[in-house]
Amino acid sequence: MRNVGFAMFLVCWTVLAAGAQNSPDVGSGTTILALEHAWDQAQESGDVKALAAIFDNSLIYIDYDGKLLTKAEYLARVKANNTHIQQIVAEEMIVRMFGNTAIVVGSYRVKGVDNGKPYLRRGRFTDTWVLSGKNWICVAAAATPILH
Amino acid sequence: MWKLFAVLLVLAPQLTAQARTALDGERNRILSLENAWNQAVHQKDAAALKMLLSSDLVYVDFDGKLMDSAAYLASVKSQAIHRERIVSESMNVHLYGAVAVVNGMYRESGTKNGKSYTLRERFTDTWIRQNDSWVCVASQSTLASQ
Repeated sequence: MRNVGFAMFLVCWTVLAAGAQNSPDVGSGTTILALEHAWDQAQESGDVKALAAIFDNSLIYIDYDGKLLTKAEYLARVKANNTHIQQIVAEEMIVRMFGNTAIVVGSYRVKGVDNGKPYLRRGRFTDTWVLSGKNWICVAAAATPILH
Repeated sequence: MWKLFAVLLVLAPQLTAQARTALDGERNRILSLENAWNQAVHQKDAAALKMLLSSDLVYVDFDGKLMDSAAYLASVKSQAIHRERIVSESMNVHLYGAVAVVNGMYRESGTKNGKSYTLRERFTDTWIRQNDSWVCVASQSTLASQ
């Protein structure tokens, strides 16, 4: 969902079940938000092994610049840590449940240094999670700069 | 027992081929829906869009604007925009049971408030199967560098 790094995490979130709101959906929403947290922490520490467990092998990742990355390419980029992120702040997250599918939409701010130049980016992301057996795995993630 | 094994051995390739054909059928169906979506946007056909999109749709536009179904339909119907050309290309469909994720490139050109524009975006759409129909529940676009 975001680039590498995580310093401060402020989040207000909502779980919205499509159709009836019931406790399994709320429970799954909590699990998915925990996975989103785990994702951030794994990025911060460059824990590629932990990230690999979160993503499906067929992950489709679209970066904020429109670049399409496979799971292997994304993990390699996390490992390389070229963009030197200093801080990511997740501002809000919404989880929408559709049975065994969950959509997480949120926004974030990221601060870092790229090729010696400091940058501050604000973006919106959408992550798609599917229930595989007993585990939720992320199959798609996309980021878009907030320009408006 | 060996007879059953022999029968399964003969049938296995046929069953695999049938399963593959069924998956290809679903993929083609979803690609058709993507094309129908483009056509509906081009024609500002809100009724057609309502059939394709979930009422719980989350839509993130190329500028990062988050819209729900109603806001998206209003943006499509906007009189300020005249879309002349819409093309989706390089589309890939990944199926996960009753979930499909489509990614591809989207090009749109036209005029907005009298000024011409061209967009080139990479998109990700998530579709879910409800009963026997597919509906899109999430869509996000990101401007692609040239």
